[in-house]
Amino acid sequence: MSAVYDLIRYAQLRHRAFTEVVDRLDDGKFHFSAKDNLCADGFQARAGSAVLDGYRPPFDATPIQKMKEVGGQLVGKTTMDEFGFGTFSTNSAHGVPLNPFDLERSCGGSSGGAGAAACLIPGHIALGVSTGGSISGPASFCGVVGLTPTYGRVSRHGLIDYGNSLDKVGLLARSASLIAKHFRTIAGPDPKDPTSCAQPALPEKGKMPRSLAVPKEALQNLDPAVRSSFHDALARFKDIGVEVREVSMPSLRFALPAYYILATSEASTNLARYCGMRFGRREEELNQHFNDFFTGVRSESFGDEAKRRILLGTFCRMVGFRSRYYLKSLAVRQLLIEDYRTIFRDHDAVVTPTMPFVAPRFEDISRMKPLEMYGADVLTVPPNLTGMPHVSLPCAYVQGLPVGMQLVADHWKELDLLEAASAWEKAFEYRFPEVSP
Amino acid sequence: MDRETIARVAKVARLNLTEDEMERYAKDLDDILNSFSVLDEAPAGESYSFNPIPVVDVLREDEPAQDLDPQVLRNQMGAYEDYVRGPRLS
Repeated sequence: MSAVYDLIRYAQLRHRAFTEVVDRLDDGKFHFSAKDNLCADGFQARAGSAVLDGYRPPFDATPIQKMKEVGGQLVGKTTMDEFGFGTFSTNSAHGVPLNPFDLERSCGGSSGGAGAAACLIPGHIALGVSTGGSISGPASFCGVVGLTPTYGRVSRHGLIDYGNSLDKVGLLARSASLIAKHFRTIAGPDPKDPTSCAQPALPEKGKMPRSLAVPKEALQNLDPAVRSSFHDALARFKDIGVEVREVSMPSLRFALPAYYILATSEASTNLARYCGMRFGRREEELNQHFNDFFTGVRSESFGDEAKRRILLGTFCRMVGFRSRYYLKSLAVRQLLIEDYRTIFRDHDAVVTPTMPFVAPRFEDISRMKPLEMYGADVLTVPPNLTGMPHVSLPCAYVQGLPVGMQLVADHWKELDLLEAASAWEKAFEYRFPEVSP
Repeated sequence: MDRETIARVAKVARLNLTEDEMERYAKDLDDILNSFSVLDEAPAGESYSFNPIPVVDVLREDEPAQDLDPQVLRNQMGAYEDYVRGPRLS
């Protein structure tokens, strides 16, 4: 068996990066993986949830189909938080992925398995999905590059929804060049996903950002080591001829609540389809009233965080609360888009740390309250809420653990971000853990 | 959030909650919504969209095609002959 296959099995067995892998690698094909909320023929698609146990979709999601068409072999499905509900990949019915740099720490979430696979397997490309930071977060904690494209750039046909106005399919890998190559493959309009049909064509080449803006509000409540590493990274950007300026973006403080209200509102309606009949787990006791039947399956199968988000989203949409929460959050999203645009008049991208801290230990995560966990998304939520493309890059190592920084550009300017990522990689050497399968 | 409210929300969401869950989720949602009250300070914007980018209507050619075999879909649903099995409606 090949060395690459040994690494795939190692990533599955030692780091729980995969829920399923193939039996063998095909000759002449490149290897890629897909987060378990992307449907693929021949694999279960369970999105980290027990309610989907046994669901085998009879088709490939469009991004998977496109990767196969250019010679890719889907080698496995990667572990994730249930339906994407989490920041640390600890809310999964199918195993919690373990960080490549330290087995006692989180890979980030919700594309945690994708982050681990991208880090552990050289040349591997992992399809991830982000709703509020689920590509950037794992990229930061696992020390890899993670690209979240503009909302609507990549077809979501075959994606198991979390939040329709927020979900985006993207890529994680060890280098920007690998991501740039495969981003062209998965991008583009698809009649099966109308939101992908409004996009402009990708340009031939991106434009290197020459001016970066750092919102001062994004630098509050950071771990001191992350703050210090980030400032060192800014100095390095200046050394390679990029202007860095501090700006103010007061509306950032509204992003986290607006995101969680919209995301849970959309999730609570999307998850209504899991009723024990159409997908996955089927209740065999049919001699019940349909309300009891549906309620029983859902109550037994959804995990703790899924229930919490369904309850929160249902509450926010209820009569009497809709204007205060849901409609206000839509208005806040528009406000944030306008504020980003104001910054982009004078700057090519916004840069912040990706996460406020390095990968936390599982024992520390277990003591966190839900609100504290949501707060960990404070830096990844703004670009996700507004549909702006963003890329997370390793920018430092603190006590052997990677620190990520995140660059955000205006809608449709993914290639500019990849130019910046490429320039960064010439100035800063990434490190990866030594692996002996 | 009081017990009655969380019970009403759970019923709408088709979730059975134990007493312990009821208490825990009520406390969590209280904490979360109190923290989210910062939104009251956000300016009341007049314009908003349901998507972060403009989404336009796109029409494709009306050509007959079979994307997926309906039989395959029925298999996923545990169908019996040409029927889909389900719970009682009344």
